[in-house]
Amino acid sequence: MSATAEALERLGQSSAEACSGVLEMFAPGKVSTGEVSVPKDFADAFATVPVPAVAMSVSYVDGVTGGNVFLITLDGAKRLAAAMMGMEEPEDPDAPELSELELSAVSEAMNQMMASAAAATATALGTEVEIGTPDTKMFAAAADIAGAYPHTPHAVRIGFSICGEPARLVQLVPNAFVVRMSSALDDLGAEVVSAPNPATAAGGTAGPAIPSLAGIPVRVWAELGRARMPSAQVVGLPPGAVVELDRQADDPIDLYVNGTLFATGRLVVVDETDWAVRIEHVLDKTKTSADSGMEVARWPESW
Amino acid sequence: MARILVVDDAAFMRKMVTDALTKGGHEVVGEAGNGQEAIARFQELKPELTTLDITMPEKDGLAALKEIIELDPNARVIMCSALGQESKVLESIKLGARDFVVKPFQADRVLEAVGKALA
Repeated sequence: MSATAEALERLGQSSAEACSGVLEMFAPGKVSTGEVSVPKDFADAFATVPVPAVAMSVSYVDGVTGGNVFLITLDGAKRLAAAMMGMEEPEDPDAPELSELELSAVSEAMNQMMASAAAATATALGTEVEIGTPDTKMFAAAADIAGAYPHTPHAVRIGFSICGEPARLVQLVPNAFVVRMSSALDDLGAEVVSAPNPATAAGGTAGPAIPSLAGIPVRVWAELGRARMPSAQVVGLPPGAVVELDRQADDPIDLYVNGTLFATGRLVVVDETDWAVRIEHVLDKTKTSADSGMEVARWPESW
Repeated sequence: MARILVVDDAAFMRKMVTDALTKGGHEVVGEAGNGQEAIARFQELKPELTTLDITMPEKDGLAALKEIIELDPNARVIMCSALGQESKVLESIKLGARDFVVKPFQADRVLEAVGKALA
């Protein structure tokens, strides 16, 4: 497989997992992910979409052409909306279009999927990916679909089945993404040989990573403690001032992976010169930074 | 049990949040579909707590939060955001939001955040 195709397929896999995670919350047990493929040409990405279809798209806003388009049959959209509202069947299965509340529900599901897919893409690329506001369209003819979206050099096609109806995510991928992904994959090839498996090093309790994500570099940082003070006090700190942190000297320190509190451990010195963290406790993987309320930590932009 | 204002541009999300809060014994006293409306409703209804979506047309949740906190520095506001908006979440906490929930969310998570903010 070419490096480009491999990069595109990984991008598709991580987006597929992100989207199905969101869909699964809205329609539990009614979602399955199908094939991730790299179509030969742009038009092929949209070929054979069953109509009438509801399409929702978001564009990237960082100066590159590209984005995500999610397509689902009208019946699928109605069923998804019904599932989201806790109903077994759509209120009016034969209506020629979506009701206002159905449209709002499906838009919201797609909105959250797109945000989640963009976050996964950002992780794969190692840079932030911002998306614009979503745009919803209805298509009565499959031939009209490809022409409605900006042409990009690459595309990935991901199949889904939602409430028994076919759906598809098409990622419109600019060249810049492929270049960044390919170089990230190259770096990884070099690192995997020399570095021990981080999951094993952490005591083996973390479980195997999802294969398509296993190779993606993540940012790991350790936190000694925090302090809260008025901004005026911060700007007035002279050299030599002491800022007290919220931890005792014998408290464990926190290890973050991409902003999620992952483990706690002890600060140690290795080779008599370098700081390191000895992991004491790997946190339950369901406990993310979002669950614990205020625990948001970001990688400083300047690093 | 509190009087709550629910703000989200998606009618479906307002319904989800309202249903969750009502089941938890709270009273949803009003809804708003953008930041501008949110500020007007806030002044008019004086809710004990406001849930605020971040991405909205007209005026977004961060701008609305700023104005609400200016109107009432003790206002209890909980932000609702989609994934990948960590920087905005952090900014809203700095601006004075009490907590946030990440979409998609379960009803329990909303109630838990509301309970904590009211405590």
